[in-house]
Amino acid sequence: MHPLVDSPLRIARRRFLGQAGVGIGMAALAELLQCDLFAQSAGSNGIGALPGLPHVAPKAKRVIYLFQSGAPSQLDLFDYKPQLAKMQGTDLPDSVRQGQRLTAMTAAQTSFPIAQSIFTFTQYGQSGAWLSELLPHTAKIADDLCFIKSLHTEQINHDPAVTFAQTGFQLAGRPSLGAWVSYGLGTMNQDLPAFVVMITGNGQALAERQWGTGFLPSRYQGVKLRSVGDPVLYVSNPEGFEASQRARFIQDLEKLNTLEFEATQNPEIPTRIAQYEMAFRMQASVPELTDLSKEPQHTFDLYGPDSKRPGTYAANCLMARRLAERGVRFIQVYHRAWDHHSGLPKAIRATCQQVDQPSAGLIQDLKERGLLDDTLVIWAGEFGRTVYSQGKLTADDYGRDHHPRAFTIWMAGGGVKPGITLGETDDYGYNVTADPVHVHDLNATILRCLGIDHTRLTFKYQGRNFRLTDTAGRVFQKALNFNASAGA
Amino acid sequence: MAFPWLDAARYADSNGYQTDGERFMWRWRDWVIDAFNRNMPYDQFTVEQLAGDLLPNATLSQKIATGFNRNHRGNSEGGIVPEEYAAEYVVDRVDTTSTVFLGLTVGCARCHNHKFDPISQKEFYQLFAYFNNVPEHGKFRRVGNSPPYIAAPLPEQDAQLKRLDAELAAASAAWAALQPDVAQAQRNWERSLDTSANVGWAPARGLVAYYSFDTDLTPQVAVLNTTRSSRSPVYVSRADASTTLRGEQPVGTSAPGLVSGRIGRAANFDGKTFLQFGGDIAGFDSYGAGRGALGANDPTVTYDDGYTMAAWIYPTAPSGAIVTRDEDIVEPNGHGLNLRDGKIEYDYVTKWVDEGIRLRTQKPLALNQWHHVALTYTGSRWASGVKIFVDGENQKLEILLDDVNSQGAVKREPLRIGGGGGPDNRFRGSLDDVRIYNRALSPAEAGMLADLTSVNAIASLSEDKRTAAQADKIRDYFLEHALPASLAQARTRLANAQTSRDSFYQSLPTVMVMEDMPTPRETHILIRGMYDRPGEVVTPALPAALASSPTAYPPNRLGLARWLVDPSNPLTARVTVNRFWQLCFGAGIVKTAEDFGSQGEVPSHPELLDWLATEFVRTGWDVKALQKTIVMSATYRQSSRVSPDVRAKDPDNRLLARGPSARLSADIVRDQALSIAGLLVNKIGGPSVKPYQPEGLWNEIGGGGAYVQDHGDSLYRRSVYTFWRRTIPPPSMANFDASARESHMVRPVLTNTPLQALDLMNDVTFVEAARVFAERVMKEGGPSHRERIAYAFRAATARMPTAKETALLEDALVENLERFKAKSDAALKYVSHGERPRDPKLNVSELAAYTSVTSLILNLNEVVMKD
Repeated sequence: MHPLVDSPLRIARRRFLGQAGVGIGMAALAELLQCDLFAQSAGSNGIGALPGLPHVAPKAKRVIYLFQSGAPSQLDLFDYKPQLAKMQGTDLPDSVRQGQRLTAMTAAQTSFPIAQSIFTFTQYGQSGAWLSELLPHTAKIADDLCFIKSLHTEQINHDPAVTFAQTGFQLAGRPSLGAWVSYGLGTMNQDLPAFVVMITGNGQALAERQWGTGFLPSRYQGVKLRSVGDPVLYVSNPEGFEASQRARFIQDLEKLNTLEFEATQNPEIPTRIAQYEMAFRMQASVPELTDLSKEPQHTFDLYGPDSKRPGTYAANCLMARRLAERGVRFIQVYHRAWDHHSGLPKAIRATCQQVDQPSAGLIQDLKERGLLDDTLVIWAGEFGRTVYSQGKLTADDYGRDHHPRAFTIWMAGGGVKPGITLGETDDYGYNVTADPVHVHDLNATILRCLGIDHTRLTFKYQGRNFRLTDTAGRVFQKALNFNASAGA
Repeated sequence: MAFPWLDAARYADSNGYQTDGERFMWRWRDWVIDAFNRNMPYDQFTVEQLAGDLLPNATLSQKIATGFNRNHRGNSEGGIVPEEYAAEYVVDRVDTTSTVFLGLTVGCARCHNHKFDPISQKEFYQLFAYFNNVPEHGKFRRVGNSPPYIAAPLPEQDAQLKRLDAELAAASAAWAALQPDVAQAQRNWERSLDTSANVGWAPARGLVAYYSFDTDLTPQVAVLNTTRSSRSPVYVSRADASTTLRGEQPVGTSAPGLVSGRIGRAANFDGKTFLQFGGDIAGFDSYGAGRGALGANDPTVTYDDGYTMAAWIYPTAPSGAIVTRDEDIVEPNGHGLNLRDGKIEYDYVTKWVDEGIRLRTQKPLALNQWHHVALTYTGSRWASGVKIFVDGENQKLEILLDDVNSQGAVKREPLRIGGGGGPDNRFRGSLDDVRIYNRALSPAEAGMLADLTSVNAIASLSEDKRTAAQADKIRDYFLEHALPASLAQARTRLANAQTSRDSFYQSLPTVMVMEDMPTPRETHILIRGMYDRPGEVVTPALPAALASSPTAYPPNRLGLARWLVDPSNPLTARVTVNRFWQLCFGAGIVKTAEDFGSQGEVPSHPELLDWLATEFVRTGWDVKALQKTIVMSATYRQSSRVSPDVRAKDPDNRLLARGPSARLSADIVRDQALSIAGLLVNKIGGPSVKPYQPEGLWNEIGGGGAYVQDHGDSLYRRSVYTFWRRTIPPPSMANFDASARESHMVRPVLTNTPLQALDLMNDVTFVEAARVFAERVMKEGGPSHRERIAYAFRAATARMPTAKETALLEDALVENLERFKAKSDAALKYVSHGERPRDPKLNVSELAAYTSVTSLILNLNEVVMKD
């Protein structure tokens, strides 16, 4: 369909493979072939995967991580605490706080008045999952979801907490989850990046390093798919220069580079040729990806009215499904809109309007297309929010500060046990009382669903075998619909 | 040379972490570029950057150099625990300094003894102690430089500053010389005064609002800053405004009454009603609105507007607002002078609870009597810039918060008297003679305000019977009203000289620097590297395994720096020459340039490394000489084209069997394209510039405003000047493996990705460069296609094209020519990318065709690789 099927690339390969006296050596050749665009690793469905990965048969082939940046208030969405009504306005007891450090925003408050949620909670589905009135669409699919109320972390500020959730370390410099997965499992689609990131909202800031590669080779970087300008940076030809000209351009470039290769035998050259090939394929695959004209109206209805508006969370959820369909391994959707320090009731309503329907729509859409079984979906923020009010507590208004010791996430899809709520917190929603799941544990569990033993996906750097989960992490078996310690 | 040094030094134009606001370290970059250009010896280069401030009679240049260890990131996220990040900054200094100069992964010893190298955790913290003495805050200013920083005038600015200082000194001297005459003139004038009259006086200069409340509630003086501003008060009472007010909500029927006051009459407040004025009266702002070239919120402006708020108060309750411009809610953002439990409290809060300046007098004042209260703020953004005077006396203050780190309240709150800070903060009692000045009054002037003796009465007192405030007052009155013209001129000259000098000084660029506090901060081992788990106390010391005579150096940064460049130091020279080798060859003699420890790779040619290192030292650490030695060596001058046999034996060129062959670094890929096109602007130094970048990248990821692209020459400066924002570095550079500068990088890892291909083909930077290159080619390359192609090829690759290459390129040219002739509007579009206007004399279709060929050439492997 496009002019490079019988490309000079193949000619070049034939040439350098067949050339007499090339003597490049099988070792070097093997290394070349292992780069992401040539190899098929035995036993995996990933091009460019590490040998031996996945360690066991995966339950999920791809991940969609819906990252709720700013930290959703679990007490107003998921973690129903009716006893707070009795304690409304009273001070958080020291026996509950147990010396938890607070951010400087509330540390100097003279009182820490308990603030119950003003929203009504009901149970839904066969599983009886508790959800507040803010999440009517999520409520409809409660039986597909696994709620975990016992997440906990150490960080109390956004940037290091997001860094922790994404890279397994509070300090910047380590590879992100998506980079690890991309590095370990390779890509399933040679025409698109293996790790794609989409961002919406205008709350707390993010940073490129949060989907970065740290000390891993930079080709595992999360590539942003944007709603403004070029969906992938620089993917479009400059105005006035057409695709057919670009095809010819790349052919000419390959010919010229091949001539250089003949003269120098520089192994960079075949790789560079391959990159231009992939770039050209992306120039076709990206517009195809972002062209929603063939999506039926009922799909847009499923995700909600925003889904037709580029640059919204809903539009990105729909795009996430399309990416999943096209074999993109790791898809992250960031929505920056949850940091409700003040005016929480009004603000969270607005955010849920943006997030509830599309998140639920994505699950339904994946399910209908048979993708949910091998796609792991995670809906999570970087920490929770305090049971005490930040700022003045009134009958209808309150704010909540950051809270690391307990928060709620949900998961669905490949490897996850649906229709269940796990983990418990105390009456204040402050401390985890059963089944604590640390951020490291969550990451270990995600990797396990992908068939990866988190302790064995490592990279040697500065003399140490680093891994995503640092020196910690335990797979949270209760959330899984398979036996994680079994081999197969 | 400079760009890799910036990578090592983690230079950036933003603070990093979450907000990633702008900062200004370009004066340090200027220093670096200048140092390399002047071939500053590397030992001096090292010492000045690590400890320039500690050198005897340290020059401005030497102090600027110390910016090296302030380049680390700084966290300004709301709610952080400052101590946590203060520790991170020092850790970064240890880590960076060790990696850059010693090639050691000392950072591994932050939490435990180094697992491989002979560096204990204790020794990590002994190194930490060298850098732990800076008078800095753990929380950085959101935008702009964070202390300590200094004014860093450019040479021409320095000259101007010296001229202004000289004029100020001369004017001061001239005025001082006239003092006997002034005193005499004053005495003469005093004798002429009518002792029966009763002339009052208060400082007049800079008065922007004044309410005497003698006849009504409107001001006698009011500088109205907007068309909405109004001298008519709006009366607001608690009964009418439910719980809080936002901005200006009207309403109110009951005005504060007028009662007998301290001077004439006063306004009486009942705890329910207060005065509020529409618009912006007597406005002042954080970040000196309008003072910077970029207008309001110009981050280059380092000072707020200074101001004074003063009033006579007769409080009948212990708490209440006096004069405010803050939100009318509990814990308001904004500026407020309040009575709080009998003490005078000043709150300048940019974010409650932890951002702002808040202080309170220590001594409560008595209720039910008149007091004069004055608050002066110099605009320094420090609590130390605030003074509170009660009855003319400068009060001892309790500092509750000293952490301004962002702009003042964005929504300007109206001026309120007796209110602001919520419905429970209304004043009870009387307020009289409310004054606001647009400058910080001096203590003498504050004293004058509190003294109500008439000028005439003071005149009738003998000089030795006058209080200081009285003496100041009558002199001030005299100077303002009766100073003879012959003497007034000198006074005006002095005032002008001071203003000129001050405003010029405040406009100078600043740079963050290292300083040491007079009393060193105590350094502890941090257990498991945690900021809140201090262990044993340690003092600065060198690592035992490396320092042969550790006590020969003073235990400060200067001692550390001198040890680093001492010929007995086994590492620094080797590590440095190794990086120069890496720059030339694409890989160091020690491949792991960041790790000369046991986990790093052994040198491929240890004797060569030793020889280069000792040569370097022997020549006086001469950087240019070393570069020359390397590039003129037979090794470097080998061809990179070798037989497959040779290549097979030495695939990575560790044996140096061939000349270097490595992809060019990100900055050089861009600089080269611009240079070949003739676009590169060679101007040296100055603030960072903003070349082309896809739209909306900054907004997508965070706050802090949009990327505003530059125009003209700034688009074509060398990449070392490109504005570097850490959380969203220039994508084109990032694509080519440029460091994000979140932390130090001494060994670039070069990759080969499709994003690079897309960039080189489609990024306007390269499309424009190709087009301008094509213009050159058409104008300079000769008349024929063939000649022009050869010209273009040679310009980019430094060799003539072979017959096959020429044929290919000619083919491409001809096909594109036909295409663009047929589609002339496409041709026009294609040659219109970028802001450099095209040469209208050149045929558009032809130019488009040549552009596609020059673009092809710029994409060649050979062009983006050095070999």
